[in-house]
Amino acid sequence: MKIEEIKNEKLQESYFKVNHPSGLTILVMPKVGYASAYAVFATKYGSIDNKIPQADGTYKLIPEGTAHFLEHKLFESEELDAFARFAQTGASANAYTGFDRTGYLFSCTDNFSQSLEILLDFVQKPYFTQETVEKEQGIIGQEIRMYKDIAGWAVLFNMLQAMYHHNPVRIDIAGTQESIAEITADLLYECYNTFYDLKNMVLAVSGKVSVEEVLEVADAQLKSSKGQAVEREFVPEPTEVLKDYVEKKLEVSAPQFLLGFKQNVKTPMRSTQERLAAAIILDILAGRASPLYKRLLEAELINSAFSFEYFEGFGYACPIFGGESRDPKAAAEEIKAEIRNLRSKKIDEASFERAKRKLYGRLVMMYNDVDGLANELASSFFENNGLFDSFEACESIELGSVNDLLDDLFAEDAFVLSVIKPA
Amino acid sequence: MEKYKARVESIAPGVRFCAVKADTFKTARLNFTMAMPLEGDIAARALLPFLLHRSGRKYPDFSQLNARLAELYGAALSAGVSKLGEAQIMSLTINAIDDRFALDDESVALNCARLLLDLVFDPNVRDGSFLPEDMKREKRLLSEKIDSEKNNKQLYALRRCESLMCQGESYGLNPLGEKREVESLDGERVFKAWQESLKKAKIQITMAGSTDSDLVLQTLKDAFANLEREDVDIKTNFIKAPEKEEYFSEEMAVEQGKLVLGFRAGMAHEDDNREAIMLMTYLYGGSPHSKLFLNVREKMSLSYYCSSNFVKAKGLIFVQSGIDTDKEEAATRAILAQLEEIKKGQVSQEELHTSKLSIADSLRAVEDSPENIVTWYGGQLLRPSFTTPFEEIEKIEKIELEQVVEAAKKVRLDTVFMLKGSGEGETDEN
Repeated sequence: MKIEEIKNEKLQESYFKVNHPSGLTILVMPKVGYASAYAVFATKYGSIDNKIPQADGTYKLIPEGTAHFLEHKLFESEELDAFARFAQTGASANAYTGFDRTGYLFSCTDNFSQSLEILLDFVQKPYFTQETVEKEQGIIGQEIRMYKDIAGWAVLFNMLQAMYHHNPVRIDIAGTQESIAEITADLLYECYNTFYDLKNMVLAVSGKVSVEEVLEVADAQLKSSKGQAVEREFVPEPTEVLKDYVEKKLEVSAPQFLLGFKQNVKTPMRSTQERLAAAIILDILAGRASPLYKRLLEAELINSAFSFEYFEGFGYACPIFGGESRDPKAAAEEIKAEIRNLRSKKIDEASFERAKRKLYGRLVMMYNDVDGLANELASSFFENNGLFDSFEACESIELGSVNDLLDDLFAEDAFVLSVIKPA
Repeated sequence: MEKYKARVESIAPGVRFCAVKADTFKTARLNFTMAMPLEGDIAARALLPFLLHRSGRKYPDFSQLNARLAELYGAALSAGVSKLGEAQIMSLTINAIDDRFALDDESVALNCARLLLDLVFDPNVRDGSFLPEDMKREKRLLSEKIDSEKNNKQLYALRRCESLMCQGESYGLNPLGEKREVESLDGERVFKAWQESLKKAKIQITMAGSTDSDLVLQTLKDAFANLEREDVDIKTNFIKAPEKEEYFSEEMAVEQGKLVLGFRAGMAHEDDNREAIMLMTYLYGGSPHSKLFLNVREKMSLSYYCSSNFVKAKGLIFVQSGIDTDKEEAATRAILAQLEEIKKGQVSQEELHTSKLSIADSLRAVEDSPENIVTWYGGQLLRPSFTTPFEEIEKIEKIELEQVVEAAKKVRLDTVFMLKGSGEGETDEN
């Protein structure tokens, strides 16, 4: 078994990377002085994995929302369900399904080994029957209906559906009432056997814990991998969007909007440098200290709900601006005008240094919470990066490369304005 | 036992400083909170923290203020207004990297503390009034914030239940104020609210981090030195049981209905049987192994969420659930039936034991972040002395099963609120 310690002196942090004989990668970050530990056992299987690779190299389509459905069902077993078992240890357990992963987690201040044993056990022991699948369709049906009333959710998926022709990021994570009705116990087993292979998974732990404690439980609990990591299919996207404006009505107090720019990506993943550069550009362009933010606020085109992010994952990347506005079209025009302006005059040294200093601070702050860290460790594994990569790259990032990205980040003819209007 | 000890200092009558020195963290956090009775010019005081956190005399423009925050390694400054029992809570918080990670010799924490105090004590005012352009902006933002409360349907339904249940009590009021009150505000009125709050409010400054608290304490003492204080008394009225049950509903074009049941917990004051009620509420609907989760969600598939929460500071319990509108009766019956089970003593030692374990576990985790530490101690600003998470655990561990059952017996349903879906949720255009 190979155990490697990865350190960062400036952060005064280190973690261990273990290639466990079972095939699982285990990442452990002990945090001195903490009372709690947080563990996440995650698979590289999310809502964008809507196809199962077949032996002949083709892919079979599965219903939307299957990964999320499987997450709900894995908590159940023939005997005691996982929540009831965690109740005995005092740990607080949960799970989530995202675009690119499913994670099962717990946090605790006591009985860590016992809780880790439960986590590794239940995730490795699927138990699906037609009866329990049907029961879950009611619960998830309610979850789907709940999300339909959340304007922030609707405005995002409407935008993604107008932006992407093929990329499965356009699919709602929970699926639809109709798609989940197609899910059967057999299908769940097929997905489980494909995506829940230990080579496709990671165990990440942070907090009051040692690598020895984790390995003791892992050695006893982990079954050997029979399969392999799943390769995602990279389907290139057309550069253009489907529609540049989409609108829907919901019970909201004022129009909600998102303006996204479809980045033309030729490779599935963004590099660490590109992500940091994008974060710096967005902060300079639209951050609280920017002229754009001030103009939008003074023109009463945004309010305190305004925000932005660099939204990216496997085969998709788009900078997004959003918030609440009496006139989303006017707000979008202001943002586009400022992008053109910044492109022509370029980012200056002073703004760059200030944004970089802020980014440095925000990256340091990331190393506080054990839950955030364990999830970051899991991300770093799925993205083939080291945990400290962003922090280390932040130091060496240069204005030139940031200005270069500024030219590509915002496509002038491939954007979507998604609006939710008051009903 | 606790690892960190809170240092508590009185700065002036009704003004307290609470510092938790911890060098485990990457960040330091400082919070300035003022509490006033939830009555009188609520809207003017609600505007204050937002106004103060956007600019100050030294940084008259929010772009300059935010550039300064970026220089302080992206320190995050936030403002908030809420209620704690029948107190209106106004707060400003700054979160920054710990001094150990600064790239130069200046103390980030001390600079942040000074900045925060500058914003509170030295705002951008002229001739006894806040400036018209600042007032115009903040009034719009606050007014839109009040409107936007309906956007989160779960929270909206809870707020509606609270205010309908507590009609005639100040707890029923929105701490952000009424929209028409906000619209009628002017710079002088808010200036008066600022002066009055600094003079009368219960104030607590809470910090967590590795910085030497002496330096912050001295800065605070200087800031309050010239203030004449007359500390206000804040009391919350507890009603042990309702006169009668009430039912209200509203229609909205939503997919999912929201059901909220509001109960009186039978408390006469904040410390009246608190731990037993907390445990009772937890095993009733506080976790994925609680009675509500196991029955209303898992057994009956009626909802995705069905949970209970306990408002200690006012002696109320709320149960919230998202359901199909036509399942309202079935869900209400199922929720009440689970409470009846506890009242009848249908609750096991095992349920009590696991509830104690879970609560103790989350209390021990309070010491794991400056945010939790500041929330824990900051949330006690109305109490004469502090309880540590570990003292709280001790109290909870002493509770017996009979006390939980007795606590449940005193719980009375007061008000039911149902946000009904009118079935027109989907209207796609384009």
